[in-house]
Amino acid sequence: MLVDDEVEFADTLAKRMKKRKLITSSVNSGEDALEFLGQNPTDVVILDVKMPGIDGIQTLREIKQQYPLIEVIMLTGHANVEVAIQGMEIGAFDYLMKPMAIDDLVYKIQDAYKKKSIHVEKTKERLQSSSG
Amino acid sequence: MGQVLDFIKEFFPGKGKESKANAEELRVDFRARYHQFKLLLNANNKSLEIMADIERALRLGQPFGMSFVKATCTAISVNVFQMIKNLAELGPGKYKELSKRFNGIQQNIDQLLTERKEVKDERLIIPLSSIDKEMSDLVGSKMANLGEIKNKIEIKVPEGFSITSAAYQKFMEHNDLQSEIERRFQSADLENMERLYTLSAEIQQLIIRSRPPENLHEAIMNACRELEGVGGGEMRLAVRSSAMGEDTAGTSFAGQYRTELNVSSEEIIEAYKEVIASKYSLPAITYRLNRGFRDEDISMGVGCLVMIDAEAGGVIYSRNPVDLRDDSIFINSVWGLPESVVDGSVACDLFVVTKEKPIRVIQKEIKVKEKKSIRRSQDGVSRIDLPRDMGELPSIDEAQACILAELAIKMEEYYTLPQDIEWAIDPDGAIYILQCRPLQQMETAKISLPEDMIRPDKKDVVVRGGITASQGSACGPVYFADTGVDILRFPEGAVLVVQQALPKWASLLSRAAAVVTEQGGFAGHLANVAREFGVPSLFGVKGVRDQLNSGEIITVDAGGLVIYKGKIDSLLVESDMEKNLMQGSPVYDTLKQVSRHIIPLNLLDPDSPDFKPTNCKTFHDITRFVHEKSVHEMFSFGKGHDFSERSSKQLFYKVPMQWWILNLDDGFNEEIEGKHVRLDNIASIPMLAFWNGFVAVPWDGPPAIDGKGFMSVVFRSTQNTALTPGVRSRYADRNYFMISKNYCNLNSRLGYHFSTMEALTSDRVNENYVGFQFKGGAADFDRRLKRTHFIKELLEKYDFRVEVREDNLIARVEHHEKEYMKERLQILGYLTLHTRQLDMIMANDSEVRYYKAKIEKDIRELLGV
Repeated sequence: MLVDDEVEFADTLAKRMKKRKLITSSVNSGEDALEFLGQNPTDVVILDVKMPGIDGIQTLREIKQQYPLIEVIMLTGHANVEVAIQGMEIGAFDYLMKPMAIDDLVYKIQDAYKKKSIHVEKTKERLQSSSG
Repeated sequence: MGQVLDFIKEFFPGKGKESKANAEELRVDFRARYHQFKLLLNANNKSLEIMADIERALRLGQPFGMSFVKATCTAISVNVFQMIKNLAELGPGKYKELSKRFNGIQQNIDQLLTERKEVKDERLIIPLSSIDKEMSDLVGSKMANLGEIKNKIEIKVPEGFSITSAAYQKFMEHNDLQSEIERRFQSADLENMERLYTLSAEIQQLIIRSRPPENLHEAIMNACRELEGVGGGEMRLAVRSSAMGEDTAGTSFAGQYRTELNVSSEEIIEAYKEVIASKYSLPAITYRLNRGFRDEDISMGVGCLVMIDAEAGGVIYSRNPVDLRDDSIFINSVWGLPESVVDGSVACDLFVVTKEKPIRVIQKEIKVKEKKSIRRSQDGVSRIDLPRDMGELPSIDEAQACILAELAIKMEEYYTLPQDIEWAIDPDGAIYILQCRPLQQMETAKISLPEDMIRPDKKDVVVRGGITASQGSACGPVYFADTGVDILRFPEGAVLVVQQALPKWASLLSRAAAVVTEQGGFAGHLANVAREFGVPSLFGVKGVRDQLNSGEIITVDAGGLVIYKGKIDSLLVESDMEKNLMQGSPVYDTLKQVSRHIIPLNLLDPDSPDFKPTNCKTFHDITRFVHEKSVHEMFSFGKGHDFSERSSKQLFYKVPMQWWILNLDDGFNEEIEGKHVRLDNIASIPMLAFWNGFVAVPWDGPPAIDGKGFMSVVFRSTQNTALTPGVRSRYADRNYFMISKNYCNLNSRLGYHFSTMEALTSDRVNENYVGFQFKGGAADFDRRLKRTHFIKELLEKYDFRVEVREDNLIARVEHHEKEYMKERLQILGYLTLHTRQLDMIMANDSEVRYYKAKIEKDIRELLGV
């Protein structure tokens, strides 16, 4: 899922990602993102940092709290070391800066998705072996 | 295997299920660790790339902005952070010290990036009568200078006030503009003129559409009313930029910001916004970029001065701007407002006045001034046609020229620097100073060759005449520029040929070889910036455009006032005028200071007791440490686990070899139970490529050792226990591959030298790399060193970037297609086998030549080229 208050940017990126066979939806605020996640199972979130309403860092915090398995990639036009490290500490998968080559972004999404699936599998194995 | 498991399960139902689950759990564990490791490697590569970017930026001195510095620092921080996080997952609890070191380095960098001049004085408006030159941080250097002239030197300056840099910051904060502007800069490609053009327009619109905070609005209106009170009724203002750093010695910013003339108090807010928006005019953006100014350091102060109804006006240079040795005073003057001198749009009169007493006019050129600028009854100014008889008259007389010259002398003495002064004479004959700034002078192009050797053939001369606006000679194709679109189309290295020397062409100066204009003098803004950038410029060449053809190569000799056909080499020899304007600039210095916390590598030797987190002084140290430890963590986890399908296997190639292989993830075609693995079961693309190179050409055995070479081996063996049989260090006995399908890491000791090779080879071209490190040998230091350089030369031939420190060699190549990377791996495989013990013969030149030729021939055959 894409979260970016720049509607045009989010729509264009979503379109390009769909072309690369990634099932993609886009929303334009942190509030909408959290609502969306409550209804739709999601693997990876691409999250803008600077948005009106609840900002990216706060959204990230909420996502990680409610859905710890979802991987979040921060994508921002405002390079800011402090915010970047804060995001990473909260548990973002990566912090990327616009402009970003679409291929590289897709690789990042694949890596994040792989991390998530391994994590899910691991949890499953643990549950199975402890129940057996 | 499935059947066997089923069989066991039937006998030991509980246990069988559990061990199967355990095996599966372990497999997932391995996969998870490998993925962590791969993410760590990606972050490591990204960090190394960013360091290379920084080094390149510092070395080339090409323009870059703060957005580059910030984005770069953020990216490397994130990647180093990721490496530490991933290592912590691979070896939980073992590397806590690293996070502390990271935070320490991070803080140092952060401090350098957020340093900003704090404006302590909160006043939004200051009347000119209480301004002096100490206040330039608050009102900008232009207004500070005018205040000084008015209040300390007591020369006439119109009444007025300053809208301070504090006001500017309030305006920007009120609309949260700065971060929005930074965002737009970050995503723009600053080398793309078209993109810059759009960026400039967008940002200016953004500012113009914003509203000032209420208290600023009110303060400006009050200041206007007060002025009207003093002047007794309605007045009009000249609203000019007065930015920080503008008009100081060495940097002119000439003409890049906007000036709004004849503004009524109803329109002043709009004019104010126009002027501060011009901080992002195209010439201003490119100028800051090329000179390395930090965008956020430049606050736009604005000066508002009562308009003078100028009979005549112009510019005084207190010295010759294009000849350091000439201290005569140069006065340019026109009818009406002085603007047409500054913007280079009309021909102007020139008076040269000697400083020797009694001062007098020593040279006078009266031009036909076809137009003059006047105040309109509404807002703004208009340029009206002058009747021919009026246009031919001198705009000032010699007596006035001498009075102006005396003012210039007074100001130069006061400031102890040559000055560039804009002035106007009102209908009562009173002289007012409108602007004043340090004048940049230029060295005359020195001609060191005898005259007749330099003089090109007369037949090559296209045109003679004009005036030297900026010294030097340059050559390039002619490009006629007319409209704004030409700014986008202008080709790098062309000669810019224009009708008028307008300030808007300044944004092309970083790309132009030379400038030629039909109109304009050396007192214009364009001339100022041309001198600053060292671009040879010949102005005021009447009819030049009819004598040149678009695209033809010409040589412009600005000092000699000649344009030649073609390239005249004799004129171009001493054009080493090109200045590196980036070096020493604030942006450059910021990057340089920041890089000291990023790039130097202090942790060199992983075997040294100093190789520990507390000694990490830079990000590079951290990446080096983390990478080394991550390989160890991967290695010992695999080795330490009593899990037969993931324990290390001995390579079986014809016979069991002294090579052990650890499968990290998907490095084998199928799971293997026994202790050997055959080559055809290996799936690792980089390992197979390396191995192909390794076995391609059989080794002839060690080269015949000369007596000295042998003694040197014996001598070193007694010193280094790793070389002595029986007292071996950790890896001394084995060569280890750690592999997955796309990854391979090799630690090997062959003969007496130690090498590591690491490669990632997949369809993700941007992640591909091969790294190779090589150290040691048995011979004495001198021969080892020679071999290191021998290998360096070979690797560089095949596009590796190679760095040598003592006898330690580090080589890398990255970002190429899979097939290309496989070839590099083959070469490394070949060299690993064939350079062993070459240190023995390094003292013998003919042997060195023989082996070099043989190796190059072998590699050519290996690659089939």
